[in-house]
Formats: sequence, C-alpha cells, structure tokens
Amino acid sequence: MKDLHFILLLLRKEFLLEFRTRSAISGIFLYVISTLFVVYETFVKIQPNVWNTLFWIILLFVAVNAMVKSFVQEKGNRVLYYYSLLNPSHVLIAKIVYNTLLLLVLSLLIWGLFIFFGDNPVKDMGLFLLILFLGSFGFSVTFTFLASLVAASNQSSTLLAVLSFPLIIPIILMLVKISAHALRLIQDTAVSGDLAILVAIDLLLCGVALLLFPFIWRD
Amino acid sequence: MSRFILIVFMSFISIFSASAANADFMRSIGKIYVVVGVMLLLFLGITLYLILIDRRLTKFENQIKSDE
Amino acid sequence: MIEKGKIWKFSGVILIVYVIIAGLLIPLKSGIESVEPSYGNAGETLKIQVTGYNTHFKEAGNSLRAWLKWDNGKAIAASEMVALDERRMNLTFSIPNNLPEDTEVQAVTLLIDSETDGTSVLPSAIFLTQTEKVLATEEVPWVKPEDFSNNGQITFPFRNILGETIRNTYFHVPLWFGMMFLFLFAVIHSIKYLRKGDAESDLKAEAYTQTGIFYGLLGLITGALWAKNTWGAYWSWDIKQNMTVVALLIYAAYFILRASFEDPEKRARVCAAYGIFAFSTLIPLIYVIPRLTDSLHPGSGGNPAFGSQDLDNTMRMVFYPAVIGFTLFGFWLSSLQFRYLRLQKLREDLD
Repeated sequence: MKDLHFILLLLRKEFLLEFRTRSAISGIFLYVISTLFVVYETFVKIQPNVWNTLFWIILLFVAVNAMVKSFVQEKGNRVLYYYSLLNPSHVLIAKIVYNTLLLLVLSLLIWGLFIFFGDNPVKDMGLFLLILFLGSFGFSVTFTFLASLVAASNQSSTLLAVLSFPLIIPIILMLVKISAHALRLIQDTAVSGDLAILVAIDLLLCGVALLLFPFIWRD
Repeated sequence: MSRFILIVFMSFISIFSASAANADFMRSIGKIYVVVGVMLLLFLGITLYLILIDRRLTKFENQIKSDE
Repeated sequence: MIEKGKIWKFSGVILIVYVIIAGLLIPLKSGIESVEPSYGNAGETLKIQVTGYNTHFKEAGNSLRAWLKWDNGKAIAASEMVALDERRMNLTFSIPNNLPEDTEVQAVTLLIDSETDGTSVLPSAIFLTQTEKVLATEEVPWVKPEDFSNNGQITFPFRNILGETIRNTYFHVPLWFGMMFLFLFAVIHSIKYLRKGDAESDLKAEAYTQTGIFYGLLGLITGALWAKNTWGAYWSWDIKQNMTVVALLIYAAYFILRASFEDPEKRARVCAAYGIFAFSTLIPLIYVIPRLTDSLHPGSGGNPAFGSQDLDNTMRMVFYPAVIGFTLFGFWLSSLQFRYLRLQKLREDLD
C-alpha cells in the first residue's frame, strides 16, 4: 500500500509538472498534427498495408520526441535531495505509467486524425485498442529507461534515437504483425500466441529496467 | 599502416568481385572455391583485427617514448 | 580467466586446426548432381542420363542398382544401366501406365545404390505426367528398395545446392555461436561491474563486446559470399540476416554511448546498464522472432537452431569442436583487447 501511495504521489507530480509547463505537451500535439498533415498532403490516398506501417512509424517518432525529456528536469541539487528520500523503483514506475498514458493518448490522437483525414481501415477495434495499449507500454518502458541513461550526456535526443531504434525492433515487428491482423490484411492463425510473445517482451524489458534503474539513479 | 588496411580491404573487394564476375569458376568442382573464399575472408578479417591492435599499441609506445 | 593461463588459448587453436583439417579432408558422400531429362510420361520407356558427384559408376560394375520411388513407397527398378564413365550413367525405366498416385503430375525420387559409393538419393528427380487413367489392369513389377549398401567411409552429406560448401558450416556458423558467447560474457561482466564496481569488469565487458561485433561482421561477410553462390544473392533480406544486423546495430550504439560520456565511472555504470538491457532484447530478437517467419536458413519455422536432419553425426564431430574452438579464439582476441584497454587506463590514471 505504501508503495502504491508513493507511486501515485509521483504520478501526480508528473501530471502537475506537465500541465504547469504546457509548452512541451502542446509541442508534441502540434508535432503529431503537422506530421499527419504532411503525410496526407504527400500520400493523398493511403493503402491499408502502408497505413499499418506508417501508423507505427509515426508513433515511434512521436514517442522518441515525447520521451526524451523524461529525465531532463531531474537535475539540480534540490530535486536530488527529494529523490534521495525516494525509492528509485517508484520513480521509474511512475514515469513509465505516466509515459504509457501519454503515449496512449497520443496514439489515439494519431488514429483519430487518420480517421479524420482519410478513413478507418481497422476492422477489429478491440484487438487494435489492445495492441495500442501493449505498444504504448513497450515503447514507454524502452524509451523511459533509455532516456534515464542518456539524460546525463549532452546530445541526448540523437543518442536516444540511436540507442532505442534497434532495441524497439522486436516490439514493433510484433505490433505490425498483430495490427495487420486487426486490419484483416493477413489471416493470422496464432494471434493469441503473438499477443503472448508481445506481453512477454514487454514484461521482460520492464523487469530488466526496474532491476537496473537503481544503479543509474545513484548520483 | 593505413596502406595495410587498404590492402586488406581491397582483398575483400577482389574476392567478392571475383565471385560475381566469374560465377563459373566459383561454382566449379562442387563450389569448393566458395569454401576457399570464406576461409580467406576469415583470415583477412583476423589480420585486420591484428593490424588494428598493432596500430593502437604503436601509438601507445610512441606516447610513452615521448613522455620520457 | 581472461588473462591467465595458456591452456585454453592453446586448446582453442588446436581445435581450429583440427576443424580445418577434418573439415577440408573428409570427402563428400557421393550424390546425384543432375538428371537429364527431368520429366516423362506414364506408359513410356524413359531413358535418362544421370550425372553424379564423387561417384564411381564404372568401378561399381554389377553392384549398381537404381530405382524410381514414389512418396507412397512404391518403386520400380531400372531395366537397363549403362555406365558411361565414373560420373555419368544412362538409365532406362519402363514407366507403368497407371501411376500410383492420383495427381496429374507426380514427382519421383531417384535412388542409386552401389557397393563402392553407398546410396545416393535425389528427391523430386523426375516429374511424371499422367493425362488419363488407363483402365486395363497391368502387372507392374513394383519393388521395395532394400539391402542398401554401406561402404563404411566417413563422409559429409551431399546436398544438391550446397555441394562442397557444406564445409562452410564449420567456418561460418561457429562465428555466430562465438558472437553470442562473447556477448553473453560481456553481459556477465557488466552485471559484475554493477554489483562490485570493479573498473576492470567494465573494461572486460567492452573488450568482449568489441570482439563480438568483429565476429558478427565476419559472419555477415562470409555469409554473404556463401549466400551469393547458393541462394543467388549476397543479401536476401532473410529474417536471420536482418536480425543479426539489428544485433550489430544495438552493439554499435553501445560504443556511441561509451564515447558520449566523459566521467569514467558514470560511463561505466550507464554502459553496463545499457549492455544488460540490450542483451535482454536480443533474446526475443534471436530466438523468438525467427521462429515466426520463414527463413532460407535451416531450422526455420519452429526451430531456431539446427534440426537433426541438418547435421548428421559426422558433421557434429567437426561442428561442435568448431564452435568451441572459435569461441576460445574469440576469448583470446578479447583478452588482447582487454589488456590494451587496461594499460591505457593505467596510463590515464597516472596522468
């Protein structure tokens, strides 16, 4: 119970900070809208199989841009003092949960804009929503953890992209495959197995990140 | 030393171009020359690795010498 | 282990020498390279010319036997066999009017057996066409191929596309196994660093990672040459090739991460954490994803490694020593790298 209390407290802090400095979040929203606009301006008509890949690639780039700032504020002596009182796992869990929610909102926004500008190729809404959640969670775990690694260096945004893109490939391959099924592009007979693999990858990365985070947090 | 790396690199290229230009040769006698090519590439690769370590050590030695 | 002791270095080299000698000297089993023509019709007398590899048709003389075999086990024996030379032979078969299967085009396997060469098999050697069923019942002399000879020689299996390049199994594949072992050791030392904070562990992890990347690159280059001459292209966008490139990208990023930190302690900690995280994504990458899609590599569709039909017992006797030998050799290269890094660090500490 105590753990949950701390995590919720930290989560609240994340939301408060985000709303107090609205420039970052509105920047990301604008980024999403202009990307989608450029995509439709250049593509005009998007085939479902292109749509499938494009959706996840856009989400990937949005995620990098949204998550690189995760640990930028965590500098300076006063913050350091606060955090010396906290359990590092709580900090990471709060960040992951916050980023998952943020990514989920952003992915729904991307999906909504795709429907608004064009049409909706998704046939199996429930499955698609499920993998939106699993994808947001996987992206959020990977990017949050890597953002904590690169926070101390001075060219963190390039570094985050370089580090994360190869690491995200297993997740994105699974996502594209399952969402191709949700779009009825392929007939995937082993959806439940693929979902299980995706969940397993997400949980594996989450576990490893939680184990390693205390070591990075120490200064 | 960079000349050695160039030589090794050129050998890689020549093995690949030989296999592309002269497919009949590479495929004669049960494609045995493919095995020869693979072993040659392996040896050249290990040589390249040794050259790199050699170069680093030389640099290091020179530094120590200039310190004295 | 990495710096002390000569025995493991020595045994690595001995193993590789054994692999080179055995891998190159053991002959390929005799096999059937091609059959001309490779099609025929039901009811006709089919004359074909067989080109063998490593065969001794003249020498085999009377012990030669040949069959055409259907998948359901029925077979007919050759009615006439004329050996033109050691590698070429003319065979005549009387194809029955009623083929034993129901499809219009049926693939049959060619079997040749002799005391000197043992048994050679060419699956789908000849495609037979049956336009209509003939009602007349005929006596077909069906036989069951049996009493296969065994010439007792130690050989590597003959595969039609591979030919002699099957020997590359000992020089290309162990590089991948070596790469994985090196990355595994890098992770072990990263964990050690995070637990004990010993600066040498960090350098060891770096050295192992460098050698692992080197093995990966060598594997890609040798694989490209092999692929060009068997699959027809240097790069076939095969899932295993792609996954390896991804693994190399992941570890290339490791060095970019190393380069971007000034403070050695901070660098060591961050890089150790990244190394462990990266290795845990390699597990789904190398063992799970390739199972999901088709691959040109052996063992696709369910099995990430070699199946029992891909490696016979003779090959195992060379392949396993090759894996151990190349891995030990990789450890030796890493130890050179590590000792250099340690000297450099000593020097930096003195300044």
